[in-house]
Amino acid sequence: MHRSFTVAALFALAGCAHSSLVLLPDEDGGHGAVAVLSPDGTGQETVVGEANSRAMLGKGKPTIRPLGAKGLNPREAALIGSLPPPAKSFTLYFVEGTTDMTATSAPRIEEIRTEIAGRPGADVQVTGHTDTVGSGDDNDVLSQKRAEEIMNLLAERGFDRSIMSAVGRGERELQVETEDNVDSPVNRRVEVIVR
Amino acid sequence: MVRGSLYLVSLVTMIASPAAAEIGRIKSAIGTASVQRGSAQLPAKVGQDLLPGDWLETGKDGRISLTFIDNTRFAVGPNSRIALSKFEYDRTTQKGSFVTQVERGSLAVVSGRISKSGRDAMQMRTPTSLLGVRGTRFIIEVPK
Repeated sequence: MHRSFTVAALFALAGCAHSSLVLLPDEDGGHGAVAVLSPDGTGQETVVGEANSRAMLGKGKPTIRPLGAKGLNPREAALIGSLPPPAKSFTLYFVEGTTDMTATSAPRIEEIRTEIAGRPGADVQVTGHTDTVGSGDDNDVLSQKRAEEIMNLLAERGFDRSIMSAVGRGERELQVETEDNVDSPVNRRVEVIVR
Repeated sequence: MVRGSLYLVSLVTMIASPAAAEIGRIKSAIGTASVQRGSAQLPAKVGQDLLPGDWLETGKDGRISLTFIDNTRFAVGPNSRIALSKFEYDRTTQKGSFVTQVERGSLAVVSGRISKSGRDAMQMRTPTSLLGVRGTRFIIEVPK
């Protein structure tokens, strides 16, 4: 009784006194790092690089401790629980030189519609990708144009235009790595990202 | 004729990018929660778009969750005051910089493309520290 009171009081005290940083594992299992710098960005940095650790921030060097068996406190767990879900990506392929979707891609449209419906306040990024035929600059223009065409197509099929935007990624993000100037139907694609 | 089609082209471009400055959107909001934009106080509503310089504010029962166009995700806890001080992002190259200021309260973050675009391209300011985000999922708490 006494002891738990003391521990609680200590926690409250610690909570009042210091800002804190908790580093968690990534959703895919790995983990990143956060560097603690002085407010003006100069001086020595301290890197918080172990997942499931808590750094108390204040004047001077931060103290870093493992979260331990207790893990997150209920406040922190509630905060993590209220994060929006990760974005979901759908890839569409087209018959060359047309805006006709291939037979295997056509069902994606209804899947995208369902995904949007399940996400309040959804926004949709239509991203065009090219293969490596032609110059990088030309492919930026081409991929942007393709993304805009597909965005118009989606709008015609009843998708809300005000939540969509078009982006051209050119040949920066190949589905399949190739040499330059290689014709690749797999790389010519549009990705629809629902957030 | 040429002028007409030029006009049409620019009109189509405008329609194609209706929210050039939008950096993110609110995905959920409960309790007392608002977006302060300059001198305007906007209610934090689902679907509300966000701009650089916006402040997110919550009362003791308030929570906001949001996503950004680089796929960064935020959850703002109660009693918070947080500024989206700087957000610059090139969606073609996926490079940019992002500075968030946590004046008080709590913030859960899953960082997105900007944090991968360069060392400390994503930074968080607290009253006592400057944090360089090198990935990915973390919580910042700044008591009153």
